[in-house]
Amino acid sequence: MSAQERRPEEDGRDFADAMWSIPSSLLAGMAIYGGLGWLLDRWLDMSAFFPIGTVLGLVLAGYLAYRKFSR
Amino acid sequence: MITLTAPAHGDEFSAPTPDELFNLPPIIAGVDWFTKPVLLAILSAILVIGVCWGAFSKPKLVPRGLQNVVEYGYMFVRDQVARPFLGKDSDRFMGLLVTMFFLVLVWNLMGVVPFIQFPVASHIAFPAVLAISVYVLKIYLGVKYQGAGGYFKNMMFPPGLPKPIYLLLSPIEFLSNMIIAPFTHMVRLFANMFAGHMLLAFFSMVGFWFLFEKLTPLGAGVGVLGVVMTIIFTGFEIFIQFLQAFLFAMLASMYIGGSLHAEH
Repeated sequence: MSAQERRPEEDGRDFADAMWSIPSSLLAGMAIYGGLGWLLDRWLDMSAFFPIGTVLGLVLAGYLAYRKFSR
Repeated sequence: MITLTAPAHGDEFSAPTPDELFNLPPIIAGVDWFTKPVLLAILSAILVIGVCWGAFSKPKLVPRGLQNVVEYGYMFVRDQVARPFLGKDSDRFMGLLVTMFFLVLVWNLMGVVPFIQFPVASHIAFPAVLAISVYVLKIYLGVKYQGAGGYFKNMMFPPGLPKPIYLLLSPIEFLSNMIIAPFTHMVRLFANMFAGHMLLAFFSMVGFWFLFEKLTPLGAGVGVLGVVMTIIFTGFEIFIQFLQAFLFAMLASMYIGGSLHAEH
């Protein structure tokens, strides 16, 4: 009985967790790998690593969200 | 106190600037920190304390009057904000969450109360204090219930991923939880209130300017449109203000819940 009562709460919590943490991890991914790329660009005097890093961060954060919340 | 009729420059309509709307002079000359938002924040605190005191100082088993209303709000916070995230720990944090919800709600509603019309949270310092308090509490509770190492390990290393990938993903988790989460927590409330106040001020300025300052046959229609939009957006603002107070308390409850139990 108690397991049945707790079930919707757990679902709601997981859902809200995902809704609120995915955007901030996407942002964090872009910030970290975009930032690394930007630093590489400055160091090597290039301009390719910043966009590459941004997209890479986005993909990694998307993968993280997929592994954490898809079940 | 400055009303929404900030002076437009010259003969042409000019939209109110953020500087006119938010950079208010001190109420008492010479006391620089005592501005309108500070006064409103103090009044809101007194109001929330007073209402809760009036409702719960002599609680009755069968609530009536003020107690009935505030109890309804309490139950809303308990069922919608606390229980989904805190479960059986809800009651321990209800004091904090109810206070936060009501305080932020009153702060926000100050934005549409006639003649007051200033949402306190549109100065970022106010939501920042609340968000930083929640942030400190979150880390304290996490370290207390999961251990210093355990808390950061649970945060940065979600189980079930191949080992090498942690090297890439842990920095994302750390940045997302430690910096972006508290930042968005305060900016979400601040930006909503800031933008809402700008919109309301703009539309009421349009109405005031074209109907009272420079009434012309062609401009009158624009002025009426401004007044209508002001009314529509005031209704919309009330909804947003409630929603943002709810979200602020909900996120606080979510962060606390995440610190009490490790995810999954």
